[in-house]
Amino acid sequence: MHRRSLRLRLLITFGLGALVLSSLFASLTYFGVQRVLVSDRQHTDERDSFVNAALIRNTLYTSPPALPSLLNSIEQATASNVLVRTHSQWLSRSRGAVAADVPTGILHTVDSGAAAEQTINVNGHLLFVVGVPIPAVETTVYEIFQLDPLEHTLRNLLELLGVGALATTLIGIGGGLWASRRAVRPLERVSAAAALIAEGELTTRLAVGQADREVQQLTESFNTMVSQLVDRMERDARFASDVSHELRSPLTTLTTTASVLQQHRDELNPAARESLDLLTADLSIFRVLVEDLLEIARSDAGASALVIETVGAVELVRQSVRSAALHHSLDEPLILVEGDLDDAKVSVDRRRFERVVTNLIVNAHQYGGDAVAVRVGVAGGSLVLDVDDAGPGIPEDEREQIFARFFRGRAAHDRSSTRGTGLGLALVRDHVTSFRGAITAGVSPEGGSRFEIVLPLSKEGE
Amino acid sequence: MARILIVEDDDHIRTALRLMFEGVGYDVDDAATGEVGVALFSRMSADVAIVDVMLPGMSGFETCQALRATSDLPIVIVSARDETADVVLGLESGADDYVIKPFVPEELLARVRAHLRRRPDKGAHAFTLGHLRVVPDEGVVRRDDGTELHLTSTEFRLLTDLASVGGKVLSREDLLERVWGYDYFGDSRLVDVHIRRLRTKIEPDPANPVFLVTVRGAGYKLVH
Repeated sequence: MHRRSLRLRLLITFGLGALVLSSLFASLTYFGVQRVLVSDRQHTDERDSFVNAALIRNTLYTSPPALPSLLNSIEQATASNVLVRTHSQWLSRSRGAVAADVPTGILHTVDSGAAAEQTINVNGHLLFVVGVPIPAVETTVYEIFQLDPLEHTLRNLLELLGVGALATTLIGIGGGLWASRRAVRPLERVSAAAALIAEGELTTRLAVGQADREVQQLTESFNTMVSQLVDRMERDARFASDVSHELRSPLTTLTTTASVLQQHRDELNPAARESLDLLTADLSIFRVLVEDLLEIARSDAGASALVIETVGAVELVRQSVRSAALHHSLDEPLILVEGDLDDAKVSVDRRRFERVVTNLIVNAHQYGGDAVAVRVGVAGGSLVLDVDDAGPGIPEDEREQIFARFFRGRAAHDRSSTRGTGLGLALVRDHVTSFRGAITAGVSPEGGSRFEIVLPLSKEGE
Repeated sequence: MARILIVEDDDHIRTALRLMFEGVGYDVDDAATGEVGVALFSRMSADVAIVDVMLPGMSGFETCQALRATSDLPIVIVSARDETADVVLGLESGADDYVIKPFVPEELLARVRAHLRRRPDKGAHAFTLGHLRVVPDEGVVRRDDGTELHLTSTEFRLLTDLASVGGKVLSREDLLERVWGYDYFGDSRLVDVHIRRLRTKIEPDPANPVFLVTVRGAGYKLVH
């Protein structure tokens, strides 16, 4: 299953957390403030209404004609509309206010002698209606207050809180970004360094700069680990190199004395002669093995031993094929150049490249009844070199394993007479890789095996 | 019969080499150190020298230089080190050839035979390179003022062979075959180092050769 990235998870956690918390606080604040403001306002309005009703009663007792001017002054003082009703008749009608706005429920309650209040919504405007009976004069007074200003204040508050919550969420996401970057960056650096090391940049280390304690510990452990691994690799490579180096002198004596014995072959009895032939044959395998081991140890030791030159590709291939064939007394395979490759150049270590071609041709000789063709072409900015034989081919499941050191495929078991060192193709892959190329095994047009090398073309002019 | 000088500190290898060369009929002088080898050579002379690189005291390279200082004899370095830097160093110290241990004995024999077979190309015509007059008949190169420029036999051979094809390009393999007499063991470094050394002797400015020209991707040619 695909794992979500740590960075994304941190980001989501921080963002969501900030959103939930800020929304919660905003809601609490809003509803709290709303309650307080509304009930405050209603208390005030109620109180005003009772006071006003008392004033109206007094006026009705003393001088009814002064009522309109009283109502006017009340409306101005409390920013409300006042409606007075006597004997089920609306006595005075305030400007703007509509008697029909007063809900019938409240009319009944007030008519029956009890004060009542209700919040109503008229055409989207919130109104607070307070009805007060004045039984003495069989009159009821309704005062209608506009709640819109309060509503407006609350809406402003809501907007403000919303903006605050949004800002908090954004800050949360920002914090998440910062935290995730801080947490992930060391991981990314370790991962990049590990990738470089895997590519063979063995001198790669993490910078120990100013970092958190945990990161510093990680950095130090990582660097220590890499150093120890590199030490170990170098020790192994040196060991292999030392061993094969030490083998060179006794091996030289052995091959030379065997050759002296060969000079006197005719003087030997048949058993001694046969033994000598076996000795000579195995000595030559032994010699190639030591050479291959040394070469592979050197290639393990890194690029220091590489001598890279930029050379004409076709000439290089021709020379390598010729020298390989001559050196091993094999027939020179056909070299087929596809396309115009006059300007195709590659950057290689000439000696190692010759070794690559030699090993492939010798391999074809041992397992494929000799290479039948070497094809050179260019595809997608790379040189493509195929070494083809018409032998039995390589089983599909062995086409990758065949490049492993000391891998012995079915072909090697079937043909006990041919004995390779088990290092030839491993060496080929090592060398090709050191030129930044790649090699694969496949099927040749002749039905045998094909080894295909792809090398980047060099753009260097001179 | 030809005389071979072997300088090798490993007793076993030295003995084996002596047995092998004696077995095919050469006279062999052997020495375990460079000092003894050089002393032997000044007394007995030799037609070919085989010198190991890792010697106690005087190194193989120094031994080469000491032998080269007094003689043009072909010198074959035998070494367990095959890094390009080592090969170049060996050839720069005056050796004509470089064989890596463990070698195929027949190959060493073949190389020694090839060196012994080589003789100056007496029939070739004399020619001029700037201020130099190359006279194959006499095996000498003279400057304008009549003094002789010293070339080893390999260098001389390289020069006259390139001259003999009349300005045509010879590949490294061609040169290995013509100059060293090798049919099948090509190490192009052998050619490159000798060309470089020859340039320092005959070119007015070895870094920008005008006579001994590299033809990229093909080989070398002589312009004269």
